[in-house]
Order: sequence, then structure tokens, then C-alpha cells
Amino acid sequence: MKALFLGGVAADTARGIRDELPDGLAVEILDDPIEHARLPQAAANADILVSNHWRADYPPAPRVRLVQSVATGVDLFELEALPKGAAICNAFGHETAIAEYIIMAMLALHHRLFEISGEFREHGSWRTSWVESGVPHGEVRGSTLGIVGYGRVGREVARRAAPFGCHILAANRTARPPEDGVERVFPLTELDRMLPLCDTVALCTALGPETTGLIDARRLALMKPGAFLVNIARGPVVDEDAIYAALRDHTIGGAALDVWWQYPTPAEPARRGSRHPFHELPNVIVTPHNSGWTAGMVRRRWDEIADNIGRFVRGEKLINLVATN
Amino acid sequence: MKAVFLGTLAASQAAPITGFITEAVRSEIVGDGDPVLLAEALADAEIVLTGAWRTGYPPAPRLRLLQVPLAGTDGIEVAALPKGVTLCNAYGHEPALGEFAIMMMLAWRHRLFDIAASFRAGSWYWSPTVGGPTRGEIGGRTVGIVGLGHIGHEVAWRAAALGCRVLAANRTSREIPPSVARIFPMSELDQMLGECDVVVLSCALTAETTGLIDRRRLAAMKPDALLINLARGPIADEDALFEALRDGTIGGAALDTWWRYPSAAEPAPRPSRHPFHELQNVIMTPHCSPRTDGTIERRSRDVARNIDRLVRGEKLENIVAVT
Repeated sequence: MKALFLGGVAADTARGIRDELPDGLAVEILDDPIEHARLPQAAANADILVSNHWRADYPPAPRVRLVQSVATGVDLFELEALPKGAAICNAFGHETAIAEYIIMAMLALHHRLFEISGEFREHGSWRTSWVESGVPHGEVRGSTLGIVGYGRVGREVARRAAPFGCHILAANRTARPPEDGVERVFPLTELDRMLPLCDTVALCTALGPETTGLIDARRLALMKPGAFLVNIARGPVVDEDAIYAALRDHTIGGAALDVWWQYPTPAEPARRGSRHPFHELPNVIVTPHNSGWTAGMVRRRWDEIADNIGRFVRGEKLINLVATN
Repeated sequence: MKAVFLGTLAASQAAPITGFITEAVRSEIVGDGDPVLLAEALADAEIVLTGAWRTGYPPAPRLRLLQVPLAGTDGIEVAALPKGVTLCNAYGHEPALGEFAIMMMLAWRHRLFDIAASFRAGSWYWSPTVGGPTRGEIGGRTVGIVGLGHIGHEVAWRAAALGCRVLAANRTSREIPPSVARIFPMSELDQMLGECDVVVLSCALTAETTGLIDRRRLAAMKPDALLINLARGPIADEDALFEALRDGTIGGAALDTWWRYPSAAEPAPRPSRHPFHELQNVIMTPHCSPRTDGTIERRSRDVARNIDRLVRGEKLENIVAVT
């Protein structure tokens, strides 16, 4: 049996899990699929494909029975070009990293960490100090956190937020029982009822037709004037113009944005994440779509992939099965 | 009865505290700069709210309650108080400090300052979309709490919920709470330090804890460890800590408490004789961790309740000493 690891991320994975793979499994690694002369031969006899993509113009891969994505999303696989009946599996492991990021962002926004530490370091200002009876900042205790998208990440956020003594609400497309300290789960259609109650709104939803532009000017206006928005989902879940205006005009208190509306391209490697200058707003924490990108996440994801390949080789039930092609 | 709010610190809390008092209490605000005004105010005061009481203050013959509107009573010279006074302190800052410690350990492990500053300047260096480096998490790391009191507990259970292994060192032996894996006696602090990825100082400043984190103990810590000081500056040796951070003996520090503070003579001093503000591995804040809306409200309620108790002749809370 042979596994083909295709592309840079898959190649790193292969090197990371080599010792965990079953004996007798042949492994072929192609870092760069496009220019590699070995691709036709490698594709022709692979039983397992590990990658983050597959394109219709690639050579045929008639024997593939397991398509193992190295990411959670499988949207970059052109599945009609892969054999019918193949199992399509994805990988997770990012929940801890992202949940920690959301808790960190919520704390940093309430405690005004960047503003206070910045002016103390640069100007030696004591104006927010307790000893000067300075300007007070907020705290998470007693505040209300609203989680939009109560899936794997949303649940991990709730579990970590509960000991802070905040109220936790959630909104989800499908009905779910409230667990892990969540007081109430609203259907996504009743999001407008949840938003005015929240001091922090964390977007953890997938991007789909129902969630594109979900947070628009009207919904931003429903939020409390001091409320914070944390987006780790996808940029377009939020209306780009509306959120920029809301932050600039203090319709809401601030935001932590990890996901964007535009990304670097080979032609424009230093392209900003938005057509608006979010980087000029002091009430925004900006990060480059890396909330899930931790050493722990990579290790957990590798372990899941190695586990699944082992299961496939032994003929056992697969984990993280998304669909059968 | 009359309550005197003495000094800037007490005066700044006068409005919320008087708002929560339900019994009939007259309140007056006075500074400590004018001895004549101070003498007049203290002559008929049953209650004084202040962070400081010194030898040489005018007589306060009717004083029964000296309420410090904060936890630390190190500004009160107990021997200088008249007889028959109950000295009380106040809490309410513990959740704010618990949150602050967790925020700092997350910001450190996730390299929030580096990543946010780099991206703000326009670089995607840290992004997986360009093959950027990974960062750390707090889950699975070991957090050591020096001083498992009110604040230490607030840190412990939040850290445990984040999946940390929590250790503690404490002067007196305590029952081990579910969030803590092990409690070391203070005499075995060095052993605990060597195991920790994050060390949180949340003990009181006493003769025993002054200079507790010295050169030897900093060397006992892991080379990538983070030291968080929410307690008092002098618990860490100023010279030794600066050198350890500058030379990479430890990974970094989040410092909210300092060796130097504003005074009338020097209203905006740098917080140390060393340039901590030039070190990139230091997150520095101006002793702001307790200064939250929540602390002000909780503390004001507690203080107001104690004043009501005194008026009604009920038992006082948070008694530190009786003269």
C-alpha cells in the first residue's frame, strides 16, 4: 500500500509522523506538485492521498481510497477528479489554540492591555495606575460573552470562559443543548436578540451563504457601544466597510481581528488584509490569520492524520470522515 | 456618626462608598497636607478611611474604626493609633488580578505583542499562509503560584480550566484545592521553580519575601520561563531580575508592580533604576491590575457594609488588628 504526501504542508506532516506510520506502508513525498516530474507515476499507484488540495488537471489517481486533508477545510480539493467511493477525511487539533486566542483577546480588550502597556513603556505614564487612583479599565467577570457558531471551537471557548464568572450565550444554525457553562443557545435566526446582551461577541462560525456579511452595519448598531468583536472565523462573515466605520466611529468599543478580506498574492506579497486602514485604529488588535497556528496544533493534527492512516491500513473505522466521494 | 476620607486614595473612593452606605453617616474629605484642617476633621470622627496613618497625626479621641480601603495595611503605623480602634482592610481585587495573570501568560505564550506589532506594520511573517513560524499555547504548561492566598486561588482555577498543571508554594500548609496538583512548602520553592513555564508572584511583601526571587532562584527557573509579578516589586531583586531578563537567564516577565512609584517630588518616575522599558521580553504595566470597574464596585460595597455594621453595633469584617 502507498501513501502520497502532496504539497508543502503534507510534506512537513510526512516528516513529522514517519515513525508513527504502519510498517510496510510505502511513503512518497512531493513537496511541489506542479513542477514535479514524478507526479504522474506517484498519483497512478497511490492508495492514500494526503494533501490540502487536488486539481482537476492533475494526472489520474485511480487507486485512491482515502483522501486525507491536512486542514479542516476540504474546499481546495476538486473532488470530481478523484475516484468515486473514496473516503474524504479532514483534521482538527486547532481548537485549543483558537479558544486560547479568544480568551486572550477578550481579556486584552477589557483590560486595555495594549493602550496601558504602550503608554507606560513609551512615555512612562502612570495615569492608569491604582496608586494614582487612575482611569479604571474593565474586566471579564460579570460581563456577557456571546459565541456565534457553537461548534468544536465555540465549546472549547465556553469551557475556558466559564471560570471567569462571565455569562455565556451562543447562537448556532442548528439547535444544540446549552453545555459547558453556556446559559442559552439562540437559533442563528434570532442572533439580533443575543447581540444587544453581549459585552464580547466571538465569531466562530463557518463561512457559508447564511454567514457571509452576517455582521453588517445594522447588527453592529445592535451591539452595546462598549462591546468588543473577536473574529477568528473568516473575514467576510463581517461586512468590511461596516466594521471599519463602526470601529473608527466607536459604534462598538473595539475588536480583535485575525481573519481578513484579502490575502497576500505572489504579485502582491505585502498586501494589507483590508482595503481600509484597520492598522491605524488604536482600538483594534490585528493578527495575520494565525489564531490556530501553534506548535501544539501542528502536533495534534499530525497525530490525528497518523492515527487515521493507521486505521485505513488496518481496515478499521476512520475518524473525521467528512464524506464519501 | 462621622466618617473622614483621608488622603487622595480614600478620597477617590468616597463617591462609590458613600453611595452604598445605608445608615446615617456624615462624610467629610480631607487631605493630609494641612495639619489644622486635619485636626478639625479628626476631632469628632468615629470612622477614618485611609491608606496611611503616621506618628504625629492630630488626636482622634472618638475614633473606633480605621478602615483601609485596600488589602495592604503596610501604610498604617498601628502603634500610632489611639486605643480601642479596630483596623480593617478590604479586598475585591482578586478576580481582576486573576484575570490579569491569565491574560499575561496567554499573551506571552501566544507572542501577542510580537505578532500584532509585526502585522500592524504590514508583515504577514507570522501567518501560515506564507509558511510562518508557529507559536505556543498555555494548555499543558506548568504554572507555579508563589503565595496561594485569595489571588493565587483566582489564578489557579482559571489556569486549570485552560489545561495547565498548577503548582503552588505557600508559607503555611493548606488543603490542596482541586485546581492545584501540588503545594510546596516555601522552603522547597527552588524545586518548584525548576518545573514551571510560568511563575506568578501573588504573596504579600514581608521580611521573608523581600528579595525572594533573587539571582540564585532566577537561575533555577527554566530558560524560557515567564515571571509574572502582581504582588510587590521588591519581592524580586531589582538588579538580579533586570540582568536575568537582559541576559536571557529566563524568557520574559510581565511586571505590574515596581520598585519606584510617583511621589510629590517626582510625579512621573521610571519604575526602576534599570531600563526595563528597553527590554523586548518585558510586558510592563503601571500597577493597574487591581484598577477595574469591578474592583471599585466590590470594594466600595465591602467598605460601606463595614461602616453600616459599626453604626448598627454589629461584628466587623476583615479585621487586621485591634488597639
